[in-house]
Amino acid sequence: MRSSRRQWLFAFLAAPLALVGCRRKAAPPEQRAVDLFIESDGDFLAFKPDTLVCPSGAMVRLAFHHGGKFLSARHNWVLVYPGQMEAVDKDVDDNEGIIPKDDTRVIAVTPMCDKGVTVMTQFTAPAPGDYPFFCSTPGHGECMNGILHVERT
Amino acid sequence: MKRTIAAIAAVLTLATPALAQSLKSPDDVKTALRLLVQVSNDFKRQITNKNFARVPREYMEYTEAADAVRQSTKDEPAAFKAKVEARLKAAVSAYQKVSDMSGKETDVDKLLAEHAKAVTAMNALFDLFPASMRPDPNLPPPGRGRGRG
Repeated sequence: MRSSRRQWLFAFLAAPLALVGCRRKAAPPEQRAVDLFIESDGDFLAFKPDTLVCPSGAMVRLAFHHGGKFLSARHNWVLVYPGQMEAVDKDVDDNEGIIPKDDTRVIAVTPMCDKGVTVMTQFTAPAPGDYPFFCSTPGHGECMNGILHVERT
Repeated sequence: MKRTIAAIAAVLTLATPALAQSLKSPDDVKTALRLLVQVSNDFKRQITNKNFARVPREYMEYTEAADAVRQSTKDEPAAFKAKVEARLKAAVSAYQKVSDMSGKETDVDKLLAEHAKAVTAMNALFDLFPASMRPDPNLPPPGRGRGRG
């Protein structure tokens, strides 16, 4: 009888701890954070570098700097799914290059910025593969583009 | 007379490389001249794509690139700066004409013909600089991406 009581008491005290343990086990593994930096090549229509690399599933924090000094052209950084760059670029041609928030072809986009300004965006790196990025200011994407290589983790 | 012309030509030929070395900010000059070419190519692209509303914007950028040329040559001798200014003004004026035309004219061929005249005016400016500093209009900008697709 006594041992039974003890068992009940132990079970009563241990139950919440067991639940906490279960909860911990169920929590997702911590997402790896990766910081990337890219800039315009001064006033030229090119990204520097034009190739970026990150692991799949990582939380990517990307900073884009407009390195221009003379021209008032605005730039941004837009990451899209493979094969979508030209279509997205064309669709925003009449809209000063502003990307709609609900465009499912777009993975990430920074705000448009003026010379000397740095802007940021954050996104989860998609499945392994090569993803094109470009500047969506009308006429820029043709020259100002590059590739994000997403590697297997 | 022939001898005089030959002598002048020889002096000019010899003077050109010397000018390249004597420019106070050769890298800045090179960058500024390349910016003119970049914007000129953008002009052409907007006309070809019938994006006429963007052409005045390109003209504005052309004037900014022209300012970059002025800034890069600000420490040069007055006589050289005067020559640069005269040809720069002619080039800017030619591109303004293209910009003004794009507001009324939608014939791509006519606009491209006017653009070609502007390129000639720009090349006259480039002639003031040594060949090694003149931008190649067929070269892509550095670091051009390969992400089309």
